[in-house]
Amino acid sequence: MPIIVNLDVMMARRKISLNELSERVDLTLSNLSILKTGKAKAIRFSTLESICRVLDCQPADILEYKNEDNNTSKPLVE
Amino acid sequence: MSKTNNFVFWSLYVVAWLIFVGLSIEAGGLVVNFFVSLYKPEFVQNLYQKLDLTQMYRESRLAFFSIFSFILIISILKSCLFYIVIRLMHGMDLLKPFSVFVSRQILQISYYTLSIGLLSYIARQSAKKLVHHDFVPSNLNQFWADSQAFIVIGAVIYIIATIFKKGVDIQSENDLTV
Repeated sequence: MPIIVNLDVMMARRKISLNELSERVDLTLSNLSILKTGKAKAIRFSTLESICRVLDCQPADILEYKNEDNNTSKPLVE
Repeated sequence: MSKTNNFVFWSLYVVAWLIFVGLSIEAGGLVVNFFVSLYKPEFVQNLYQKLDLTQMYRESRLAFFSIFSFILIISILKSCLFYIVIRLMHGMDLLKPFSVFVSRQILQISYYTLSIGLLSYIARQSAKKLVHHDFVPSNLNQFWADSQAFIVIGAVIYIIATIFKKGVDIQSENDLTV
């Protein structure tokens, strides 16, 4: 999947453990683990909002787009 | 799930087991009947349902083998169908029914039901073509009398299976949404 979740990077920068994040974001450990390992298929805006609030960051710090296939359609802006 | 639903489910499970045992006995009896009519035709009168096709065997081997193949395949498919029903009811989690296993079983049930219906229909038409011969017994129709019902039920189950498959996809997507 070309969307990469950099939650672990942000957690390391803020020196926060998964347990603590889970308590402060009010999300179960298993759901956070799904998000951290990149298995998640979708993320709610409310979840993203609370993660950004707790980690004091922007959504772009957590989510990153990486084009895996070079032969597909060209970007609109060059 | 309510207690009444649970009771109905387990009652149906027991009924499915009973039907499976009955159909297996019928299929086994017909297989024995097939071999006895090949090697000891005089004993056929004492066998299950007294299905005597020995005269057909003597007059037309092609008709005998095709009619008996239809009878055997249909009865074996029917017992396989109920085996899948039992497997489905045994492995199904009533609290979380939308799983890949259940979806696959329902799809298999629809395939088996449709196959039984179509084969019964073809067999009935073939038997009709042979009716002007003297060697076709009157009790043959009981094996494929319900062909249209099987086709209709098979089609309905196929539609349900397709909807169920979509439900499983939505459920898995929902599970992976955080």
